[in-house]
Amino acid sequence: MAAARLSASLVLQPRARTLRAFSTSVSPATRSPRPSPSTTERTSRYGRPLRRKALPPRTEKMAVDQDWPSVYPVAAPFKPSAVPLPVRMGYPVKRGVPMAKEGNLELLKIPNFLHLTPVAIKRHCEALKDFCTEWPAALDSDEKCRKHFPIEIDTAGYVSAGPSVRNPKARVVTLRVKLSSLNLDDHAKKKLIKLVGDRYCKSTDVLTIKTDRCPLKRQNYDYAMYLLTVLYHESWKTEEWEKTKTEADMEEYVWKDSSSEKNILETLLQIKAAEKNLELSKEELLGTEEVEEYRKSVVSLKNEGDNENTLSQYKESVKRLLNLT
Amino acid sequence: MSAGIMLKGMTRLISSVHKLDPGRFLHIGTQAPQCLAAHLDNQVATESPRAISRTSENDPAKHGEQHEGQHYNISFQDLKTVFSHGLPPRFVMQVKTFNEACLMVRRPALELLHYLKNTNFAHPAVRYVFYGEKGTGKTLSLCHSIHFCAKQDWLILHIPDAHLWVKNCRDLLQSTYNKQRFDQPLEASTWLKNFKTANEHFLSQIKVQEKYVWNKRESTEKGSPLGEVVEQGIMRVRNATDAVGIVLKELKRQSSSGIFRLLVAVDGVNALWGRTTLKREDKSPIAPEELAFIYNLRKMVKNDWQGGAIVLTVSQTGSLFKPRKAYLPQELLGKEGFDALDPFIPILVSNYNPKEFESCIHYYLENNWLQHEKAHTEEGKKELLFLSNRNPGQLERLCAYL
Repeated sequence: MAAARLSASLVLQPRARTLRAFSTSVSPATRSPRPSPSTTERTSRYGRPLRRKALPPRTEKMAVDQDWPSVYPVAAPFKPSAVPLPVRMGYPVKRGVPMAKEGNLELLKIPNFLHLTPVAIKRHCEALKDFCTEWPAALDSDEKCRKHFPIEIDTAGYVSAGPSVRNPKARVVTLRVKLSSLNLDDHAKKKLIKLVGDRYCKSTDVLTIKTDRCPLKRQNYDYAMYLLTVLYHESWKTEEWEKTKTEADMEEYVWKDSSSEKNILETLLQIKAAEKNLELSKEELLGTEEVEEYRKSVVSLKNEGDNENTLSQYKESVKRLLNLT
Repeated sequence: MSAGIMLKGMTRLISSVHKLDPGRFLHIGTQAPQCLAAHLDNQVATESPRAISRTSENDPAKHGEQHEGQHYNISFQDLKTVFSHGLPPRFVMQVKTFNEACLMVRRPALELLHYLKNTNFAHPAVRYVFYGEKGTGKTLSLCHSIHFCAKQDWLILHIPDAHLWVKNCRDLLQSTYNKQRFDQPLEASTWLKNFKTANEHFLSQIKVQEKYVWNKRESTEKGSPLGEVVEQGIMRVRNATDAVGIVLKELKRQSSSGIFRLLVAVDGVNALWGRTTLKREDKSPIAPEELAFIYNLRKMVKNDWQGGAIVLTVSQTGSLFKPRKAYLPQELLGKEGFDALDPFIPILVSNYNPKEFESCIHYYLENNWLQHEKAHTEEGKKELLFLSNRNPGQLERLCAYL
């Protein structure tokens, strides 16, 4: 194109010389130093300020073992020329691929954590270490930690690169404590378990209280501690109406005053009456070894449920009680 | 010497005759295979399988450990009287097909018979509960013990399936005796008829000890035989449930006196403490204790009487609102049931052991029940073993197809 123009201007020039009298104004303009076509700088024929050609992106000059935290020291939007990864994002057109990173608005919209690489975080921690105190040397095992600090508090903080630092999920506070570390007697423990319901896990003996009803984390933490205190003190108190606790409310089977005891007593009394052996009193009957074994087998049957072991134990004890061979 | 050879030849002939017609019902007694084995030591393998599955000992009282796994015959007479309503329906079909009723002697039943033989009739009645998975033979073990007691001349009070009483009852009447309870006339009258056939000879001997007034015109005087009460129940269907209640009360009271021995056998006793599917007119559900029959039966299985035994089974088949896999006594009886039956002896009925399985297969083969050509091969037996997992009910259903 430029060559064609040049040849046209070369052809024009002799004509310009012959027509010197009429076109002197034309030649100086065409004679100004013309740039070679190999240079990338574009000229404008219409008087706009010259624009520099784009430099190669910084990624091409990046070494593999460079110091990344200096590229992204703070939270910054995604700069495709500064991130050396060949990232693609976007819904592809038919028979196409997702869009490349150059000029990709999708990559700009989402928050990025390029300023929080492990190296950067390590450096932050190193810097923060000067403000920290030593870990106490006496607490070197988990058991000791649990023994001296039985209450465990779980909170979560959320980091997001967005317009606001607040996150409503950050107000949740979870309090975990093992009931064995609390000073509870039998009645208090049962009452506490009944009061908290699902929040107690029987297999791990852990009470979990999760609070998020207050707007601030600090307030939720105070509320959780308050709940624990109230539960502890309430479970130690015994109310009037607790005396009306029935068999259906019991957590585990209690042999005394149960119908099983009554049945066995009646049966034994009838056996003794048949054998004209009325000297034994109720307490003595209940205190014999066979009845003791029977009691144990019934308790295990009721608490553990049926299985071969408990059933065969029960069978043996009944056989011995009723004197069957 | 020659006599010995002749004897050998004769026995060999007999054995070949036996081999030629396998279809005949051979009642080889327990004594016979032993003497055969003594003479034909090289032919023991073919002779003993046939002998394993049967025994000629038809009296349950004499059944012992050595009969374990063998089938014994129940006479048709006994079938009509004792088992008029007791046998499971599939077994009844099998009896009709084979034209004979053969029951296998198994360990749980033997255990129970041992206890029954050693019962002390002065002590309160002991309760025995058969439990086990579906199809393992609880009902038939119960029937075995009933047969034993019938032969020993006990009075049999057999409720074939307690579940039938708590579901699908078309007509419920308000009880004449107690306004809160409900009567089931149809079921009661059928049961009374069967009870009569089972215990004819007792009904004239036992006398009622109280006067019972049925309505303005009819009443039963004190001292009249129990048969009259039963007749009244059968004829006047409205009073049938009350008749049943009276029978139960009288039997309980009088068994302690020692005139007779009472066996209470209930199949599916967990129905007594479960739920019912019956509803009142206003669609509110009825609890089991509001049914007069269930109420009286509960009193019967309590152990406050002497002079007999109580044999029960808990079964999931036919039970209401219980999961299919439930078979353990506490699961099926629930808390109420367990407390009511405590103390009892639980007896587990399990699947066949290998000997019993072999015996069952041979019994079917003898009766030409297994028509498949591979049924008698080892492979066929292994397949059946795998498919049925040695479960008697499952095996019976499988063999029905072969």
